[in-house]
Formats: sequence, structure tokens, C-alpha cells
Amino acid sequence: MSSIAKQAQQSANLLQGTLDMLILRTLLYGPAHGHQIGKHIQRTTNDYLQMQHGSLYPALHRLQRRGWVTAKWETAPDRNREFKYYRLTQRGRKQLAVEESLWKRMAEAVARVMSPAAEES
Amino acid sequence: MRWWQLRNRDADLERELQSDLELEEEEQRERGLSPEQARYAARRALGNTALIREQTREAWGGAQFERFLQDLRYGMRQLHKYPGFSVTTILILAFGIGATTLIFSVVNAVLLRPLPFPEPDRLVWLSQQDHSLPGIAPEPLSYPDYFDWRGQNHTLSGMASFMGAGVTFRSEAGSQHLDVQTVSANFFDVLGVAPMLGGDFRWDDEKPGNRAVMLSYAFWQSEFGSAKDIVGKSIDLDDHSYEVVGVMPKGFQFPLENPAPALWKSLADNAEGKNPPTQQRGFDVLGVIGRLKPGVTVEQVKANLSLIAANLARQYPDNNKQYSSALVEPELEHLTGDTRPALRLLFGAVTLVLLIVCANVAGLLLARGSRRRAEFALRSAMGASRAAIIRQLLVESVTLSLCGGGAGVALAIGVVRASVGFLPLESPRIQGATVDAGVLLFVLIASLATGILFGAVPAWRLSHLTPANALREGSRNVSGGKGQYRLHNGLVIAQIAIGMVLLICSGLLMRSFIQILNVDPGFDPKDVLTGRIGVSFDKLKHDQHFLFYQQLLTRISALPGVQSASAGWPLPMSNNSATVSFNIAGRPVAQGDEPSESLGVVMPGYFETMRIPLIVGRSFNEHDGLAGPPTIIINQAFANKYFPGENPIGKHIQVRAGDDVFEHPMREVVGMVGDIKRKGLTADADPQYYLPYAQAVVTNPYLVVRTDQDAATMRDVIKAAVHELDKGVPVYQVSTMGDYISKSAAQPRFQAVLLTGFAGIALALAAIGLYGLLSYLVVQRTLEIGLRMALGAQKFDVLRMIIGRGLTLACVGVGIGLVISVIITRLMARMLFHIRPADPLTLATMVVLLFLVSVAASGVPAYRAAVLDPMKTLREQ
Repeated sequence: MSSIAKQAQQSANLLQGTLDMLILRTLLYGPAHGHQIGKHIQRTTNDYLQMQHGSLYPALHRLQRRGWVTAKWETAPDRNREFKYYRLTQRGRKQLAVEESLWKRMAEAVARVMSPAAEES
Repeated sequence: MRWWQLRNRDADLERELQSDLELEEEEQRERGLSPEQARYAARRALGNTALIREQTREAWGGAQFERFLQDLRYGMRQLHKYPGFSVTTILILAFGIGATTLIFSVVNAVLLRPLPFPEPDRLVWLSQQDHSLPGIAPEPLSYPDYFDWRGQNHTLSGMASFMGAGVTFRSEAGSQHLDVQTVSANFFDVLGVAPMLGGDFRWDDEKPGNRAVMLSYAFWQSEFGSAKDIVGKSIDLDDHSYEVVGVMPKGFQFPLENPAPALWKSLADNAEGKNPPTQQRGFDVLGVIGRLKPGVTVEQVKANLSLIAANLARQYPDNNKQYSSALVEPELEHLTGDTRPALRLLFGAVTLVLLIVCANVAGLLLARGSRRRAEFALRSAMGASRAAIIRQLLVESVTLSLCGGGAGVALAIGVVRASVGFLPLESPRIQGATVDAGVLLFVLIASLATGILFGAVPAWRLSHLTPANALREGSRNVSGGKGQYRLHNGLVIAQIAIGMVLLICSGLLMRSFIQILNVDPGFDPKDVLTGRIGVSFDKLKHDQHFLFYQQLLTRISALPGVQSASAGWPLPMSNNSATVSFNIAGRPVAQGDEPSESLGVVMPGYFETMRIPLIVGRSFNEHDGLAGPPTIIINQAFANKYFPGENPIGKHIQVRAGDDVFEHPMREVVGMVGDIKRKGLTADADPQYYLPYAQAVVTNPYLVVRTDQDAATMRDVIKAAVHELDKGVPVYQVSTMGDYISKSAAQPRFQAVLLTGFAGIALALAAIGLYGLLSYLVVQRTLEIGLRMALGAQKFDVLRMIIGRGLTLACVGVGIGLVISVIITRLMARMLFHIRPADPLTLATMVVLLFLVSVAASGVPAYRAAVLDPMKTLREQ
């Protein structure tokens, strides 16, 4: 297998779990199209994730298939052009809550392992 | 997701990605990059679009099928793009799959298809074991035994008897001979088939005076114009009136290996007269079929019936002493018993052919694959996963094999139609060999398996590419390195080895078949015409019967073109026989322990007409007539067995033939004749004795007429001579002795011809495989060969190098093939006639043949390499 393909697939696997959550969280602010979602995640993580926009789309389509988001081509409010806007559904909101709590517990657990002193104080 | 929505989704995704790209580009430009730079930056930011599309499609689900369609489209395009390669491959596959389909259609028809009766698994063939003979020796039942078995068993829901018979049917249109069956009243009921018209036999129809018949559909149609009111009417058989009770459905017959009877008569006529067959316990002529009660096993039936048989043996030692147990065999096994090993052999052989085809096509794909390395390296670099590449290649190879399968089926249908002529039609059910749904399913599975088998190896190799290297090597040096050669060599060796095995097997069968044809049957079958005539036993007394034949033979002998004419029963190889017990004067034995051997009854001149040599004594003549002293002639095997080292002439033998008709006089041995192959060319010559027909009129004998010219042309002349004497006597079973001989050799011929065909295909394929590999090698190594020649290598050296390579492969293949043959041919030993499985002549011939073909196959590419112009080659490379 090519090294490029291998890298792409690895990062895809790595991101997949958290990426879904990040997308859902981003859509909590309101509908957005793919490019906006990507930019938002990049900006808020200070480009830490080094994410290529492309890897968003498989995730977006997967979320759509699970019924957590809906998508529709709409004209953008600020310009005369159509974009595919994604919206959070009711089920998506619930899913976000679930993933968020899972993530928090996970983060706390990791934090306890990594810095036990902070726990004692 | 429906497949027609996939296209929309693709467009939608495309638009989405495009819009992302445009936005990104705008942003980059706003940041001050040049349009060009902005576009590249946007691409980088978006990532690998091919991969994104792929992964997004996976997210949609249902992607498998879509991908398959895509691969299929691509595969078809590839086939179209390289028509030469495609046509070659498909043709090779068509041969392999077609041959396999052909044999499978026969196997399917003969061995696999269930019997055409309800719940056929419950039908069993019944007989009694003859314990005076070694091994399994089934003996038919007599009527009294059958009635006792039928009445006393508790394991069968029904047990029916049947017996072939010939009758003369008289109607306004004239008289004709009919092959019929005499059956018990429950015959149709046990088989589970009801009449389509009228009713079944009743038990009363077995009683004397209740002669009843059931018509076959074909006879009802041809003779009575399908008249519905036939039931209840009477028809005339052998000058007796029989009441028609019904008509059986079209195609009904049992047993399946015999010709279909025109009608079935109840056994009432066997129960009539003084000492009728139904009361003779020694008259062992009945075929018996049973239907198991539900839940009962074959073993239980066997135990049950054996108990009855043992009781009968104690009760009637005179007739039943050696028949103290029963034989029970599932009907399908009984029917196919003889053909099973032959079909297994052929199916094995054709599977080997298919394997060669796989190896051959795999070699072709390997060679082509190396030309496509760049293509797959590129795909891999673009993000195609290994699974995707393997999948794509397998779809391509399966597409090829399905095309080959389709062409193969067409080929098989043609061959099945064309080959009906040389199929051994005596083999039961072989006529039913057609390409039906079952066969098509088999072809589909075989094609898929073939495609995967020959596609897997090249696919695996191509998926292992390191794209950077493969691309760098480019088209200059596209060889796959050592590994690929090793694989390709292996494929060629496998083909040669399998080809060797098939050649040896077919060589052995061919030699065995030729041995069979060279067997001396003990008589001269050339220019002998045979036939039977339906003289009624009821109308003529025995002496009149004999006189009729005497008169007829005198007339026929006088015909122009006839050398001599006689009559006798049974005709060799006609599947008739009777074994009758006898006493030798001066050698008393206990009752029931009398020896028995095969009986013949002949008219004077029979041995001369058949050219059976008289060894000592005299032949039958006019002295052995109705009033003459009782005489007997024995054959050599008989003399060797019973009178070893003695002169048999003048000995006395008492034969117990024809229980009710004749006294059992002491007969004097007047002559000894040569042995003949009574049962078939491969059978051993067994002891046999002959009685003069005048002194033992038991059945209508076969006329045997030796002619000056081709016997077949005399048919009508003989018929006319019979009808001149009596218009009302039907003539039937007219056939040349040569036909009987060739029927006797039909099965070995069928095997030998088919297997030779397969071996021929295998040899051709192995040669093509070797040729292909060496040609490919020469192309790959053009540069090297050019260099060698530039450095002083001679044409001869190059020739030797390439041919040497070919012969090395051939040697390894032949070696492996020989080892496998030693194992396999041992399994064939029983099918070979007077040939040892390790027949040195066959082995040597086939090895030499294979080597010669290998040299020829290597010669062409070697020559091509030798005539390369070194300067030109080096410049081009």
C-alpha cells in the first residue's frame, strides 16, 4: 500500500471518533456548510489538528446517514451562491450530549492518571 | 439507497467538494497568493479527493454493489481494449469449462438425477445371493420364492416382480413382435405411478384366466390412436385375448436401463397350464423391486428377507440350497453401479483439464499483469487500497471466466448433441444428458471458482507493488523479478505434470481399448446377420416348431448371397443366458448340489455358420433330430473343468432343462467346440454346453446367416424369406453380429475416446503455456540476449539457452507427472483390460510425445531470439 494512502487512512481512523463530536458541537451554533465547519474546527484548535477539509465530508455524510444531521442546498445569506448546509437534528443533539459526557469522563480519567497530585489537592 | 440514486449522490458530492475548493481558493487569494498558488494551496487543504470520494461512498452504504458495478465496467473495458488477449483467454476457458460441463451433464443425468418415481430413495432392488459362487453373486427369484418373500416380510410396504417377454401382437394391420413385461399386480403401485387412463391391476389379475394388460402411452398412441375407450376392450397377444385395464403415463418404464416395453401383462398367463412357471421354484427369472416401509433401513430389510431365504433354503434344498440370504440394494445404486467408476474417472480427468486451463490462463494474466504494473502502481499511489486492487483484478478475471463459461456452455450443448452417436447408449439414463438448470448452476459455480483460482495469484502479486519502484522502472524493465518467474515456471510445470498424468491415463485406456478390439471372440462376427422371428409356442407343437425352423433355414440357405444359415440361442453378447444344472454319469452328488453351467440350444450348422471351431468329435447334424439319440456338445472350458485330462467324447451328462417339457435323458457327449466370449469381449470364456434344438425347444432362437457381402444389406431379403413361409410371423431384432460386438466395446470406447480428447486438450494447453512463458521470457530478456550476441554468443548458444530452459521445465513437469501417475493409474487397474497400470510402452510413448511437443513449443521462441539483430536490439532498448 502506498505511504500516502496509509497516512490518510490512519489519520482518518484516529479522527473518526472525535471528529463526529467536533462536527456536532460546531453545528450547535447553527447551520453551516462544509467549508465553514472545517474552518471553525481549525480555528478553534489553533490548527493543532492539521486537518484537511476533505476528511470532513465522509464524516458529514456518515452523520447524515445516521440521522444526526440533515443537509440542504441553500443560498448563502451574504452572497448570491448556493451551499450545502448541514443542520443538527434532535437526535443529533442527544448524540452530542452522550458523546460529550463520554468524552468528559474519558478526559477526567486520563487526567487522573497523568497528574495524580492535582487530584489530591 | 437505490442504485439509480448513486449517480445523483456522486454529482452532489462533487458539487460540494467543488464549492469547498472554490471558497478555499478565494480565501487564499485574499491572503495575497497568486491565482496559481491559491489553487494549489486549496487542493492541498482539501486533501486527496479520490480517497474522499471513496470514503464518502463507504459512508453511504450499499457501496459494495456500486463498486462491483464499477469494477465490472472497467473489466469489460479492459476486455474490449485487448481483444486478442480476451479472445484467446475466453477460448481456452471455453474449452476447459465446456469439457467440464459436458461430463457434468452426463454425471448429472446418470448419477445425480433422482429416479422418476415418488420417494425414489425408498425403492430397493432385491435378489438372492448365490453362495455357490465367490463374492456378491445376485440370482433372480423364482415365482414361488417371490410369493413367499412378498407374503412373509414385514419391512417392505410392497414388493413387485417383473420379467421381460416377447409376444406377437395381432391386429387388422398385421402382426408384429412386441417387447413387453410380465409384472405382478402391484408393480405400478410399488413404483408409485398410477395409470393415466383406466385402473390399476387388481390382485385377481394374477390368477389363471384373468389375462389383463396395461398399455404404454407410446403403444396406445401409435396403435390405437389415443382412443379413450380402449379400456375394457380386448387385444390379441400370442393368439390369446387380453383385457386392457388402463394406459400408463408417457415415459413410464422400469427398469430404466432396458428398452421401454410396449405393454405390461399381468402374470396370469404364467400361472396357467400344467406345471406353470408360477409353481417352479427352480425357475429363477424374476426381477424384484421393493419399497421400504417408512423409517425402515436397507439393513433391516436385508436381515428380514435373509431370514425368509434361509428358511426357504432349508425347506426346499433341491432348488434353494445355495440361496440362503437376500441382497438388497438401493435402486439408484443398482442402476448406476457399472457406470459409476467410469464417470468418476472422466470427471476426475476433466477436472484436471480445468486445472490446466486455470494454470494456463493464470500464466497469461501474469504476463499481462507485468505490462500493467505501471497502471496498478499509479492506482496504488492515488490511494487505492490493496483490497481494492485485488478486488478489481478478481472482478476482471471472473468476468473473463464467466464469458468463457458462457462460450463453454454453448460448446457443450453442441457437443452433447453431436456426441449422442458415440455415447454408449446402453448405459442407463445417458440419453437424458442435457444442459439443464442444474448443469447451468454448476457452470456458474465452476466459472466463478475458475476465475477466482486463476485470478488470485496474479492479483496477489500485483497488489504487492511498491508504487515508487514500479513507476520508476517504467516500461523499460517491466519484468517482475525472480519471484514472478518462479511463479510462472511453477504454473508451466504444473501444466506439464497434469498433462503427463492425463496422457498416461488416456494412453492406458486407449491401449486397453485396442486390446479389447483385438480380442478373439471365439467366432467370426464378420458378415453375419442375426434376427429373431416370433413363432407362437401355443399354435405349434414342439416338433412343428422345430420343423418350421428347419424349413426356413433350408430356404434361407438357398438364397443368393447366403453362404450358410442356422439358428441358436442364446446369441453371444445378446444379454441372454440360462444356467441349468446337470449330473455327470458316474458322479453322484447330493440333491441341490448339482453343478450348473450355461446352456445353449442350436440347430445343425450353427458352429459352422458362426465359425466356432470344432476341436474334437463331431458337430450336430440331422441325426440329432427329434427321434435321434439324446446328444450334447461341450466347449473346451467345460471339458477342462469337468473332464481334465480325459477324453470327453462318449461321456454322459443328464441336463435338467425344461422341467415340464422334456424327460431328462442321459445325453452322450459327441463333440467339443472352442470357447466363445458369451457375455462380452472383456468377459472370460466360461464353461458352456449345447443341446440340439430339436431335443430342447425352449424359446425362439436367433437366426444366424453368413453372407457373401456386407451383412446389413441382406436384412430385407431375410425378412422376405420368412414372410414367404408365413406372413403372420413377425421378424425382429434384426442386427449384424458386428453391431453386437461394437456395443460390447461401447463403454471402453467412450472412455478411451473422451479421455484421449481431454489428454489432447491438456497437451495443447501445456504446450501453449510453455510457449507463452518462453516467448515472454525472450521479450523480457531481449536486451540481455542482444548483449550476449554482441559479446560473441552464437545463434546456436541462444537457441540452446531457450530450448534448454523449456526442456528443464518439461523434465521437472514430466517427473512430477510420472510420480502422480503411478498413484493414480493404480486406481484405474480394474478398468484396464490385459494392460498393467505401469505399462512401460505406454509410459515411454507418452513421455517421448510430451518431450517432442515441448521441444516444438520451445523452438519457436528460441528461433525468434536467435535471429534477433543485436545492434538493432541494443539501439531500441
